[in-house]
Amino acid sequence: MARTRSFAALPIAYVTLRILIILNWLYGAAILGLLTYTFINPEWTLRAIGVPDGLNAALIANGLRLVAALGFLAVPINHIILTRLVRMLKTVRSGDPFIEDNAYRLLTIAWMLLLLQLLSTLIGAIGKAISSPAFPLHLDAGFSVSGWLAVLLTFILARVFAEGTLMRRDLEGTV
Amino acid sequence: MAIEVHLDDLLHSRRMTLTELAERIDITLANLSILKTGKARAIRFSTLNAICEALGCQPGDILTFAQGEQ
Repeated sequence: MARTRSFAALPIAYVTLRILIILNWLYGAAILGLLTYTFINPEWTLRAIGVPDGLNAALIANGLRLVAALGFLAVPINHIILTRLVRMLKTVRSGDPFIEDNAYRLLTIAWMLLLLQLLSTLIGAIGKAISSPAFPLHLDAGFSVSGWLAVLLTFILARVFAEGTLMRRDLEGTV
Repeated sequence: MAIEVHLDDLLHSRRMTLTELAERIDITLANLSILKTGKARAIRFSTLNAICEALGCQPGDILTFAQGEQ
């Protein structure tokens, strides 16, 4: 029963990843479009942000532009993670996941997660810098214990997988 | 590899085929072929034990180390 459930999970995961890849690029296009428009029509930007009088609207606008630009950097990083996962899933479907390529893919995912956490910390810091009681800014970014734990977990998993691949290679040709 | 496998010679002297040996010791013909042709990278003690028992030989009769070969 458990095996049947896990076999059903594979195609679901595959389709989900494919959808996420597309959504990721759409999200990136939206951010890029919005960011570009803020330069084309800066007055609209200031009106849209609605900075109260007495605050440095230009500084806040530029801070938000920087946040958007950094957010856009996450798009190719997400793409790398998602495409590596798709390739790993394909090897599971073919019945041979314990290969060296997958160990490298896991390591790549770990490094990308690390980059995402650094980006998130930076974005959170910028958000705090331009936020004030008069203009509170709540960004879904910043230091995250669970995020950093996920980074650590993935690095460890990549190492374990690499060892498993070596063990499997040793087993091949054992009679 | 410098380890040489003399399973062929032993089978010939015992008038046994590889298929018969595989059936006797419950190891797949494919695995025994891998061993016979020198393509095996490792052999389990249980496999060595089963072959020695079936052929009435010593491990040194099946495997020899050829000095100088790599």
